[in-house]
Amino acid sequence: MDNTDREGWVYSEVVKEHFLNPLNFLMGDENKYEHDAEGIVGNPICGDQMKMFIRVENDKIVDVKWKTYGCASAIASTSALSELAKGKTLDEALKIGPEEIAEFLGGLPQHKFHCSVLGHEALAEAVKNYRKKS
Amino acid sequence: MRRVYLDNAATEKMLPCVKQAMLDAMDAELGNAAALHYEGWNAKKLIEEARVRVARLINAESEEIIFTSGGTEANNTVMEIFRGKRIVTSSVEHPSVLEAARARAGELVVLPVDRWGRVDTVDIEKEAKIADLVSVMLANNELGTIEPIKEYVKCCKKYNTYVHTDATQAVGKIKVDVKELGVDYLSFSAHKIGGPIGAGVLYVKNGVPYRNLMYGGKQEEGRRAGTSNILGIVGLGAAARWCWEEWSCRKWAEVTKLKNELKRRILAEVPYSSCNSPDEGCLPGILNMSFQAAEGESIQLYLDAEGICVSTGSACAAGDIKPSHVMMAARHDAEVAHSSIRLSLGLDTTKEDIERVMAVLPGIIRKLQGMSTIKVGA
Repeated sequence: MDNTDREGWVYSEVVKEHFLNPLNFLMGDENKYEHDAEGIVGNPICGDQMKMFIRVENDKIVDVKWKTYGCASAIASTSALSELAKGKTLDEALKIGPEEIAEFLGGLPQHKFHCSVLGHEALAEAVKNYRKKS
Repeated sequence: MRRVYLDNAATEKMLPCVKQAMLDAMDAELGNAAALHYEGWNAKKLIEEARVRVARLINAESEEIIFTSGGTEANNTVMEIFRGKRIVTSSVEHPSVLEAARARAGELVVLPVDRWGRVDTVDIEKEAKIADLVSVMLANNELGTIEPIKEYVKCCKKYNTYVHTDATQAVGKIKVDVKELGVDYLSFSAHKIGGPIGAGVLYVKNGVPYRNLMYGGKQEEGRRAGTSNILGIVGLGAAARWCWEEWSCRKWAEVTKLKNELKRRILAEVPYSSCNSPDEGCLPGILNMSFQAAEGESIQLYLDAEGICVSTGSACAAGDIKPSHVMMAARHDAEVAHSSIRLSLGLDTTKEDIERVMAVLPGIIRKLQGMSTIKVGA
């Protein structure tokens, strides 16, 4: 049944893993997840939209959850970002950019880069919203 | 486990009889078909045999058949004939019609379509008065929608306007009879009827305008220069023969039953699913479905990981991130277009294949909808 180990994907192994088994995503109703701030980026009309939810303690991101509508690389890159952001201070989290996400994933196809690696913008917005609140 | 191949509209598996015919041709003493010696004559004979078989399949005369490298070349040739002229086409054509027309037309009219991808006969009637060529596909590759070409021809003939139809998806699946349709030009390719990639057909009715796309040698009665692709043509001829002798359209009619079963089950078992292919007037194998809040490429790749092969929009668009021009033209919004997949069944698709799809698709869609930023049912 399982064909995931065969070759022939346009994406790297790491992308494949984060796409097939994404980490930290928020299933179902987002109101059921207690969080301190959220940020959103993208547009379903363009084919990609990401939302990041953060929990903050002592200026540190202690938990991250996300939602994504989009292609495999959008799902994988948001999953990767959530791993990168966890445990970081807010200032550190703001420094995570698309290059770092792509590098973490072992590269992404060129035409996918600009539209699908957007999660860091949603994260930055979440941080901004958090600081506005507190 | 065997992979479930539901991308037959992109390319079909080669028929065993096609492979055999091509192998036999490889072993035969064949020369250049343009030469007069024994080996050349042998090659010429095989090509003319194929021409008779292709002509018979679409009820054309042999001399009305021009062999090309595929559907794209055939479509480009038609547009070359009408270079600088007023060309009317539809917004859901294959790029090899739309882009070829855009590159050559003096004036180009691209007609809108309805929700299923059909042109309005009133629009055709209006445009046919002043057009030199009307080119509308016989059946759409993404939605499966069959266009009422006979009706369009009726409108065009009143004004002596020429009609071309891209029949690439239709030949072999539904009855395609050039005399009954009344078209002046018709194109299709070998690999969509179980033949090899790299061979195609342009039907040109006796007595209508013609201009070469390729100049050079005198192959194809001087209408298409270049050494004849003997193996491709032999394979194409074998596929055409198979379609004729085996009544392929009847076999495909059986596929409709499986497709309808798949459609019924998806609509019943997969939350927030909708069908973009028409119930009536649709190709037997093509089923285009949308799933709210789930994106097409992700659905495709989750299915791929389960050993099931489908496509998003048109396979040609892989690597293209814009939503399908067909889905957009059929008045869907971009979100619905991004959330669609095409399942195209083949003659070898089984009930078990349908079960395999239904065993995993509902879960995949629920997962994608669950993690989506878009709320379903909103």
